Amino acid sequence: MKRLHFLAAMAAIWLTATGHDAAAQTAFTADVPILHEEAASAGIDQSYTGGWEFFVGGGAASFDCNGDRLPDLLIAGGSGPAKFYVNESKTAGPLAFMPFDPGLQAADLTGVLGAYPLDIDNDRHVDLVLLRLGRNLVLKGGADCQFEKANRSFAIDGGRAWSTAMSAIWEKGKKFPTIAIGNYVDRSAPGTPFGTCEPNQLLRSRPGEAPDYSDVLTLEPGHCALSVLFTDWNRTGQPDLRITNDRQYYRGGEEQLWKMIEGRPPRLYSSSQGWQRLTIWGMGIAETDFDADGLPEYALTSMGDTKLQKLDQEAGEDRPTYRDIAFERGATAHRPYAGGDSKPSTGWHSKFADINNDTRTDLFIAKGNVQAMPDFASFDPDNLLLGGFDEMFHEKGMEAGIALDTRGRGAIIEDFNMDGMLDLLVVNREHPASLFRNLGAATDWGHRPLGNWVKIELDNGKINPSAVGALISVRTGTRTQTRRIQVGGGHASGQAGFTHVGLGVSERATIRVQWPDGEWSHPYRVFANQHVRIIRGEANARYWYPVAQ
Amino acid sequence: MNIADARERRGRRLAGAMALQLTLLVPALASEPWAERTQALGATTEMPTGTLSPAALDELTRTGQALFEANFTTLDGVGRPEATQAIDPTRRKHPRQQAFFRTAGPDAGSCAACHNQPASGGAGDFVANVFASEGFESADFDSLDPQFSSERGTNHLFGAGLVELLAREMSRELQSRRNEALAKARASRETVRLSLTAKGIDFGHISAEPDGSVNLDELDGVDTDLVIRPFTQKGVMTSLRQFTVNALNHHHGMQADERFGARWTGSDDFDGDGKTGEITAADVSALVAWQATLPAPARVVPEIEGWADAAARGEANFEQFGCTICHRPALPLESLSFADPGPYDLAGTLNDGQVAARAIYDIALLEWADGLPRDADGRVLVPLYGDLKRHVMTDSQIDALGNELLSQRFVDRNIFQTAELWGVGSTQPYGHRNDFSSLDEIILAHGGNARQARDAYEAAAKNDRSDVIAFLKTLVIVP
Repeated sequence: MKRLHFLAAMAAIWLTATGHDAAAQTAFTADVPILHEEAASAGIDQSYTGGWEFFVGGGAASFDCNGDRLPDLLIAGGSGPAKFYVNESKTAGPLAFMPFDPGLQAADLTGVLGAYPLDIDNDRHVDLVLLRLGRNLVLKGGADCQFEKANRSFAIDGGRAWSTAMSAIWEKGKKFPTIAIGNYVDRSAPGTPFGTCEPNQLLRSRPGEAPDYSDVLTLEPGHCALSVLFTDWNRTGQPDLRITNDRQYYRGGEEQLWKMIEGRPPRLYSSSQGWQRLTIWGMGIAETDFDADGLPEYALTSMGDTKLQKLDQEAGEDRPTYRDIAFERGATAHRPYAGGDSKPSTGWHSKFADINNDTRTDLFIAKGNVQAMPDFASFDPDNLLLGGFDEMFHEKGMEAGIALDTRGRGAIIEDFNMDGMLDLLVVNREHPASLFRNLGAATDWGHRPLGNWVKIELDNGKINPSAVGALISVRTGTRTQTRRIQVGGGHASGQAGFTHVGLGVSERATIRVQWPDGEWSHPYRVFANQHVRIIRGEANARYWYPVAQ
Repeated sequence: MNIADARERRGRRLAGAMALQLTLLVPALASEPWAERTQALGATTEMPTGTLSPAALDELTRTGQALFEANFTTLDGVGRPEATQAIDPTRRKHPRQQAFFRTAGPDAGSCAACHNQPASGGAGDFVANVFASEGFESADFDSLDPQFSSERGTNHLFGAGLVELLAREMSRELQSRRNEALAKARASRETVRLSLTAKGIDFGHISAEPDGSVNLDELDGVDTDLVIRPFTQKGVMTSLRQFTVNALNHHHGMQADERFGARWTGSDDFDGDGKTGEITAADVSALVAWQATLPAPARVVPEIEGWADAAARGEANFEQFGCTICHRPALPLESLSFADPGPYDLAGTLNDGQVAARAIYDIALLEWADGLPRDADGRVLVPLYGDLKRHVMTDSQIDALGNELLSQRFVDRNIFQTAELWGVGSTQPYGHRNDFSSLDEIILAHGGNARQARDAYEAAAKNDRSDVIAFLKTLVIVP
């Protein structure tokens, strides 16, 4: 048996090395969405720039800051200032954004690598955590897209590290979220940057009526994190903290999973507990659950192969052993699919979503050379891996129109014009951000809409109102799809707002919610192509409609 | 309307359809005249577009009639060994050998096998009942136990085009009302609660919040997306097109590309019967065109002494008892232009956003439409004796219509759409299970929301009740 495994592994390596994508062997018959780049006409003009410290990062955040439920944006600028945009898109129309002044000093918005939105103080205004080179900033959201610095009022020091990652979760019984900050290289360490990774941090609010993060737990060792994510990997209802790390700079490091223990410091899972050593140039984490069994799968971007991890049969409830299914699912995305450069590609932001509304999970990966690394592809287009009915991923980035000569970093996959079809923002290094509008599928007479969809907004009540940590289960026919409300992962980019689910040809769906405290809701019956609001405790779902055009 | 004239027209239509089939058979006659397949399949080579001329509409509907009456064979793709009857494409766990299966289906060789009373496109006797199940779990039931399926009678399709047009206009009216509530709520920054009515039918209330969300708790008899779904006993299908695609799969295992094709399933042969592309979108269009242009049922008083007077009295009683609260004698229709694909179908059934151009079937061009009454504003008064609304039909005393155990498409087991009574004189037996042999019995079976009218009927004098029957029997299908 061991010999068989060895031969299979060798065959896989050979096929990978020779560029034989398993996915290329089968036909893809579902819709390919046409993603039309219109950043300039939409009013988005932001580049992520800067020196070595800004080779990584380049994130964005989407959130609603003016109460119209349209996703507004913050886009990091690196050495330049981050920019805020309010969304003025008409429903199903061209994308339109207007820059706005959030009422902050320009100096506070420089050095930003990424950002994540969440409502820290439960006031139903989205706050923002800006990951910076130096002191991280927490911006407390107010009415009409006004933000104010809240480091002092929330007692968040912000540190002096080179912060590159963030995740948050409401721990059991806690009024305010627990925040994990991932840090990169320790710039103050003497000598070369190699082997000088900064520890990561865990911020738990003290009990009280206001957030108080004055106690900071250090998560050591740090291995130069580039993405962190609280995740309920073993469906215990107790999320743990997964960290993907950049092997470029660590020595003796690996991927990490911290076990979160109530009221106590987290503890690293070890090899004796089944956690297998994996060393990659970890850039981004994306989570999905292909078969809705409650045991999520993860896409880890890296230089070269993307990893697609599934819990192994040897795993147990407290034994996080994973196997890589990227090759068997056609998701390695290890070299550019266009442009002819055969060198390995470099993956950053990753995100699972149903971009063509066919009920199959798709995977977007932002790609781009770190700067000018000669051993890696120079022309390295972003991936659009569409999930097929054959359970394989099929690369359709070229056909969709996203194979641009840019160096992608962070990204947001969101329905910016509220037509139920997911659009795409990609933050590019030293190049204006790309903003793609999903036009639907191409025909000989224009574009036709994709499959049906539903978008869901949860209201969990006074604490954790946006239900971070909740699980949404959407049933159509015999198929169940799940989505977890999360803050974290990707590459320096986060989003808050409606959760999108593709419904294919189903004209209705039954939704159940497992609220963050673990309680399951009754079923909510909804029709397709609706924005749905589920308010905890109410018998029926509500629908929401954008302003009529 | 004269019955003899109607029969003559029907004869002409049948002759036309036969002529078409013979024409279509010519290539097959040259090679294999015994070919056991449906020649009309694929005869409509392209989706019709634009407003069809009378000749073009006639040709399309004749093809549609030929398809409706065709006995599909395995050469056509009848049977679905690897797919269930479900509306959402669903694989069977185990392939089935038989092409036909009386309970879970496929259960008919042709549409007309059930829809044939008093003519093709009509209703069905009890023997033609269908066993409706979602087809997701327990898809293979071989029991008539209502825990597995809901046994339903076959509805007639005469006047169905007008019904769908009414539903579309009502959906538009309800959704406009929703938009009005939202606009007022946003402008006033206060909750706005408006009544929902369409064509004078009350569908409850909707409350809009300033943030753009709507509370749907007070809706009555309509789905939460405010789309009137006028077809099936339950009122859960949006369009003739949607129902056609559903029924082709359920009853015949003939799968339409627009839902079961590779775009949505990854396979050209989702049902695994070895046949690809069984029903094209153009085939569906032909079937829809024929159904949509079927003449509306008429009112014909038998030339029997006393019947006309009894019917007149019965009509008055029908109103006096309160029956017309739900069985509205007529609903006004603004336009007779039937667009296909329509505006309210969602992906999986072609809609007007999925095609380059719609086809328009102008029902006003049809001879039978000349006899439709109009109001002072020129609107057609569609004499359907219905309200296209769902109602609770049982209560604690009267529960004969509460035999079902399964809800269907979010509609509870004892809730049904008001049966349109036009044609009721031609479609015995009655009730959603087709198990009431007389009109008197089905009237007395009305409970729930219809209880008051039912009680008024029950309490009436024998002659008054008889007059109602005389009236209802004048509502007939004249093919």
